[in-house]
Amino acid sequence: MNRIEEKMALLQKKKEKAFITYLTAGLPDLDGTKALIKAQEEAGVDVVELGIPFSDPIADGPVIQEASYQSICRGTNLRSVFALMKEIREEGVEIPVIFMMYYNTILNYGIEAFAAKCRETGVDGLIVPDLPFEEQEELRSALEPLEGAILIQLVSPVSKERVPMILKNARGFVYCVSSMGVTGQAGIFHQEILKYLSYVKENAKIPVMMGFGIRTPNDIAPMKDIIDGAIVGSYFIRLLEEHEYSIGAAKEYCRNFKQELVLGGCCYEDND
Amino acid sequence: MDKKGYYGKFGGQFIAESLMNALEELDKAFESALKDPAFIKECQYYLKEYVGRETPLYYAKRLSAEYGARIYLKREDLNHTGAHKINNVIGQILLAKRMGKKKVIAETGAGQHGVATATGAALFDMECTVFMGEEDMKRQALNVMRMEMLGAKVVSVRSGSNTLKDATNEAIRTWAKMAEDTMYVIGSAVGPYPYPKIVKEFQSVISREAKKQFFEAEHRLPDVVMACVGGGSNSIGMFADFIEEKGVELIGVEAAGKGIETGEHAAAMEEGRLGTLHGMKSYLLQDEDGNIKLAHSISAGLDYPGVGPEHAYLKDTKRAEYVSITDTEAMDALLELCRLEGIIPAIESAHALAYAKKKAKTMTKEQAMIVCLSGRGDKDVQTVADYLLQ
Repeated sequence: MNRIEEKMALLQKKKEKAFITYLTAGLPDLDGTKALIKAQEEAGVDVVELGIPFSDPIADGPVIQEASYQSICRGTNLRSVFALMKEIREEGVEIPVIFMMYYNTILNYGIEAFAAKCRETGVDGLIVPDLPFEEQEELRSALEPLEGAILIQLVSPVSKERVPMILKNARGFVYCVSSMGVTGQAGIFHQEILKYLSYVKENAKIPVMMGFGIRTPNDIAPMKDIIDGAIVGSYFIRLLEEHEYSIGAAKEYCRNFKQELVLGGCCYEDND
Repeated sequence: MDKKGYYGKFGGQFIAESLMNALEELDKAFESALKDPAFIKECQYYLKEYVGRETPLYYAKRLSAEYGARIYLKREDLNHTGAHKINNVIGQILLAKRMGKKKVIAETGAGQHGVATATGAALFDMECTVFMGEEDMKRQALNVMRMEMLGAKVVSVRSGSNTLKDATNEAIRTWAKMAEDTMYVIGSAVGPYPYPKIVKEFQSVISREAKKQFFEAEHRLPDVVMACVGGGSNSIGMFADFIEEKGVELIGVEAAGKGIETGEHAAAMEEGRLGTLHGMKSYLLQDEDGNIKLAHSISAGLDYPGVGPEHAYLKDTKRAEYVSITDTEAMDALLELCRLEGIIPAIESAHALAYAKKKAKTMTKEQAMIVCLSGRGDKDVQTVADYLLQ
């Protein structure tokens, strides 16, 4: 069974909300990324999204754009992140890992080779923000026979009648984009967010996660009865930068966030 | 077109889910507008009365004598705002109006599309924001001023290479935030479907007129039709009505910058590597990791690392040929046209002229070609001055 689906099943059984983080691979360097993944696993993070840097990240706001740029400058590429994956799996890291990446990086690697390498190195899922449902066939048909990585589906506040189509065969979890536009617009959600999340939840047979613009458990307090978990990206990256990629700071933030989700309350005090 | 939105294997919609409904809405509105005689009439009205169409198809006598073939220039430089860009803007803004949008955004490289969009927005009373790379804002300061005078907000884009590709990224990001009340007016024949189709439709007036005008002058079809290619808007418009005329040779001229061998160029077709950028699958300049490479051209309007999907298809099917011209060759051709014909062309258009010179050498004196003079060179005077000082 796929690690993501296994984790989702476990959380559902425990009636526990998921905490998912995003970090750009290669920052502060690949060893640092490895240490951060391990730290997050220890801190109770349920799934890690690893951003593969790309030169033209059109779905990302300034924080992830900059992180992506820095990482490319340090020489990170898909091959080096695959190597990192292989290492962490050999070292016994079992946390589900999702690659968040742009489609050109996959095309450039070769779709078949990419799918095989995901399977080989223990990549569990893919989020490709510039590959909408209608364009997924080629990638999906390479992934499915291998039973390796699964494609995570994104829905947006304006997806509306597209939602049932997108969710029909969706696996793992649904990634609900909380706002229009790009990542990292802190705390600004779409005006009809609750209605939208409820609609997605009604249509989904799998857990529903919310991402884009989340900083603290407080941000998701209004929708905590609807969603099954939260994804933090830009805020986490900024926090890591501010603390010079301190493992301690990363752990503390993740542990607190996850704990708040487990307790069900959302009264986490923001230290900033 | 094969699969919906595709030209062979090129095109498609490689864009965020949050824009998929906006693209669908745009496609429906566009198709219904084309079937509405009132819409067509309104477009034609503004193209004639406001833009000043039709533009002349000018027989360049001295240039022809010098180059050795009959050369006709399609004078898109004589349009209001000084380039072909306005043709498409009038169409897209009328479409935006029809869709009830109140705001428009645009990306711009040389600034011509930005100026055209700012102009259209002023004319139809819409709020206009133009994204422009910081580097291009320096190169094209005059056009920045023009946009601001026309009431547009020009946003300086400081990411990546600070040029057209980055301005396009930022426009797409902004559109994803504001699609509910905003129309993204794309200036080139690029982007997710239906944009390449829309831009082609609104630019095809160039070849519709040119075909008719050429026939009136020569009572036949031209032997060669040529245009410069950045993203490919003037060229797809110049090719459109000739694509089905198999006897007409179609040539697109990309920017070879400092020379293909130096790696500092903007000739996406030359490298022929398939990829996805700005919502489309097409030929792109990219490095071995699949990151998009910086394009280089002395002309801001050709400084783009990709090419419109229909051009990629025309190349693959060998219906059109794509060649490239260096900065130096383009500048020489620019100055030559100034002196021989009293026309100052845009550096972009000068790329087509430079190849016309080469092509003419393989033609007879009786054979004829149409070169699309896509824009005027007033905006480039500073660049020319700097170039001559080097």
